[in-house]
Amino acid sequence: MTHEFELPDVGEGVAEGEIVSWLVETGDTVEEDQPVAEVETDKAVVEVPSPVDGAVAERRAEEGEMVPVGNVIIVFDTDGDGTETATKTDETETESTEEASEQASESGRVFAAPSARRLARELGVDIGAVSGSGPGGRVSTTDVREHAEDGDSGAEAESAIQPADETDASTTEAAATESAVSPANEQADREGTLAAPATRKLAEEQEIDIDAVPTEEERDGEPFVTPEQVRAYAERQQAAQAADTRAVQTEQEREERVPYRGIRRTIGQQMEHSKFTAPHVTHHDEVDVTELVETREDLKEAAEERGVSLTYMPFVMKAVVAGLKEHPYLNASLDESAEEIVLKNYYNIGVAVATDAGLMVPVVDNVDRKGMLQLSSEMNELVAKARERSITREEMQGGTFTITNFGAVGGEYATPIINHPESAILGLGEIKEKPRVVDGEVVPRKVMTLSLSIDHRTIDGAVAGAFTNTVKRYLNNPSLLLL
Amino acid sequence: MVVGDIATGTDVVVIGGGPAGYTAAIRAAQLDLDVTLAEKDAYGGTCLNHGCIPSKALLTASDTAHEAATAEEMGIHADPSVDLGEMVAWKDDVVGQLTGGVEKLCKANGVNLVEGRAEFADENTVRIIHDGEGQGSESVEFEHAILATGSRPIEIPGFAFDGERILSSRHALALESVPESLVVIGAGYIGMEMSTVFAKVGTDVTVVEMLDDVLPTYESDVSSIVKDRAKDLGIDFHFGESAQDWEEMDGGLSVHTETEDGEINEYGAEKALVAVGRAPVTDTLSLDAIGVETDEDGFVPTDDRARTNVEHVHAVGDVAGEPMLAHKGMKEGEVAAEVIAGEPAALDYQAVPAAVFTDPEIGTVGLTEAEAEAEGFEPVVGQMPMRASGRALTLNESDGFVRVVADEPSGFLLGAQVVTPEASELIGELGLAIEMGATLEDVAATIHTHPTLTEAVMEAAANATGDAIHTLNR
Repeated sequence: MTHEFELPDVGEGVAEGEIVSWLVETGDTVEEDQPVAEVETDKAVVEVPSPVDGAVAERRAEEGEMVPVGNVIIVFDTDGDGTETATKTDETETESTEEASEQASESGRVFAAPSARRLARELGVDIGAVSGSGPGGRVSTTDVREHAEDGDSGAEAESAIQPADETDASTTEAAATESAVSPANEQADREGTLAAPATRKLAEEQEIDIDAVPTEEERDGEPFVTPEQVRAYAERQQAAQAADTRAVQTEQEREERVPYRGIRRTIGQQMEHSKFTAPHVTHHDEVDVTELVETREDLKEAAEERGVSLTYMPFVMKAVVAGLKEHPYLNASLDESAEEIVLKNYYNIGVAVATDAGLMVPVVDNVDRKGMLQLSSEMNELVAKARERSITREEMQGGTFTITNFGAVGGEYATPIINHPESAILGLGEIKEKPRVVDGEVVPRKVMTLSLSIDHRTIDGAVAGAFTNTVKRYLNNPSLLLL
Repeated sequence: MVVGDIATGTDVVVIGGGPAGYTAAIRAAQLDLDVTLAEKDAYGGTCLNHGCIPSKALLTASDTAHEAATAEEMGIHADPSVDLGEMVAWKDDVVGQLTGGVEKLCKANGVNLVEGRAEFADENTVRIIHDGEGQGSESVEFEHAILATGSRPIEIPGFAFDGERILSSRHALALESVPESLVVIGAGYIGMEMSTVFAKVGTDVTVVEMLDDVLPTYESDVSSIVKDRAKDLGIDFHFGESAQDWEEMDGGLSVHTETEDGEINEYGAEKALVAVGRAPVTDTLSLDAIGVETDEDGFVPTDDRARTNVEHVHAVGDVAGEPMLAHKGMKEGEVAAEVIAGEPAALDYQAVPAAVFTDPEIGTVGLTEAEAEAEGFEPVVGQMPMRASGRALTLNESDGFVRVVADEPSGFLLGAQVVTPEASELIGELGLAIEMGATLEDVAATIHTHPTLTEAVMEAAANATGDAIHTLNR
């Protein structure tokens, strides 16, 4: 029997997914719940587990292919030998599987009522692998359900995805280094050479120009070459050629082609769309945050006592919301088809997070209605989820404005790209101690730089400046946040 | 699309309104698909119009006449006179009720009915050509097609059906008068059922069979009971002879047969019935246009979801292969419709029951002892002879038996062979038992009504485990 596996709705309401990579080959034995493919939707990559024990009969989609949910992506062969393999490989379930295969081994028939068989198909369970609790091992609907539920405990943990083969890369580098240091063959360039006829013959055999063989010896004032010198030269020549070949090969591998797909491509498409749709203008400014730094230092301990690690981000979020309330056009999106600007009376702030897989933007909802500690803990949780890729699509949707903290890697100014269809994005630079003039005196102050990109279709530069000034006012004087 | 065509669109087009086709259509409509059913002849197909139903009606009628005439033992002395014309009219009435019912059910479920012969134009279009000159045709564009075109009687060389002298089963079921004599070519289930009907209404029946026994697909202890009873009815059997040709003779015909040794025999009769089997109807469909493949016998191979080699085309019923049984076709029709609707349906039945409406009847389901052994089971059999059944004796029937086959280590029921009156009914509970994965103990421990024939099922199961009361345990 074969089992056709359709791409499930891996992200609640997702219409299609991209097969990022296959984790199994045709002919591979798979166990129920073993991941068979990495499927990417929007910004999350999900491992799709096999619904059955069996063998991979056919893969119906290519890596990189967009597949609508419900299309068959892989076909499993769940015939008798599938059951056998299950017994062999699935050690955690040895007891039940053995019983099941024992009972089925005589003829491959499984004794179960039609209702149980149908339920098994519904739940994607290979009924041959179900251990029957009835007389003679008859499989009941309860057995099928229990098997389906227990199935999760299987082999999941085993098959982590191996990232790009690093050992290969380092071998290539080693080869390159080797060829680089291999010595060039010293070579002579004479008009004529004295040598015994046997020596000349040897040189011919080795396809060597005897005038090129270096020698110190002379006979009758002419350079003289011995057979040993010819052999030694020939060997060096071959070694050098081999090194050249390696060098050429290494050169070919100097470029590596990495598939542009998955999260990378999604990010790319999003950036392209935003940058080519919205004319960006970036407004730069700096703000003295000395007081903010002190305030945060004061509150940090109190927050920690409540189990929350307090960063600057909640302060910035609050300041941004204050700015957005004064300048609603930055908390908006342009509905091009309706030719309307949608001003939003809710404040869902996205926070750009760099992850191993690429840029992700978890969204903290209703920032205006939440306290500093709640914002902090919610954001920390979302960031952690984004980093370990357990974040859901929904947790990255619905943002109205985005903050990107490029200062985390040490920058001062940037030109952030708007998280379309939002209308603006605020980039934060690193907080640095800088000499600033206060009351006519140069004093060290904590300074944060700001880079605000706006969609110039709906927001003019003056508005951008005014918004930045509001944000600056709050960051400069955090006690305003108490109002 | 030809000029004058009316093009309509549908989710599912079902071609053929027999049991497999109409079941598929109704189920698909129940699952909210837009369904068009094309039927070129009569709703209900062969089964309702020219097969199961009319033959059973005539069997019942002929039985009634025969039993009345042969009940002296019980003190009944009667000499019934049979008017075959009236008998056939009654049969037609039964058929009419059923086919009308099918049509109504289809309509009530919202199936669009189109009358005409269907022919594929391309992968998603079928032309339905209405019967009769100049009646035109219409094109239906479909997402999915279900082939349910059924089968037709096989003709043998030299015996073209003419409905006068050379009859197919279809002709034989519509005769207006009882033929005095009939040569039946073929001793399979159709030949045997028809021979029984005609023998019981007084026809001299001669059966010619190429193989060496009746009902060659059945075990000999099963078929011999039927053969002996048929001989008692006066049916004359000639085995190992193949029909060669025929000629008109004395207002009737003479059928020439040849033995393996080359000996020629002649059998005179009023008419001859050719019942050598049935072949799938796939040649009228232009299957090439849609890329559906057929096997060497003309069947359309399908998988366990009733799918053909073309993804959006299913095939169900006789056209999808042996066994050519209406109930198998109906199951396939259901599954095909459910698969199209995206349900997790599959043809994963354990056994398909079959019945032969001879005297006595034969009912079988699942595996014989030999088949069970071949499949790797350790079979055990249990048997209950009908001469030990009170109900059988009160029916004045003591031939036959109920036999069950089970896997000895596990006790699971694997098959059954039943040769009894109403064996076609008895086989039902055995099918259920097999499908449910019941053990011999389950069947034997179920109380069966006394006095009925069904007790024999319980007894046979008990016999297999050595626990029978009314038979000597083996």
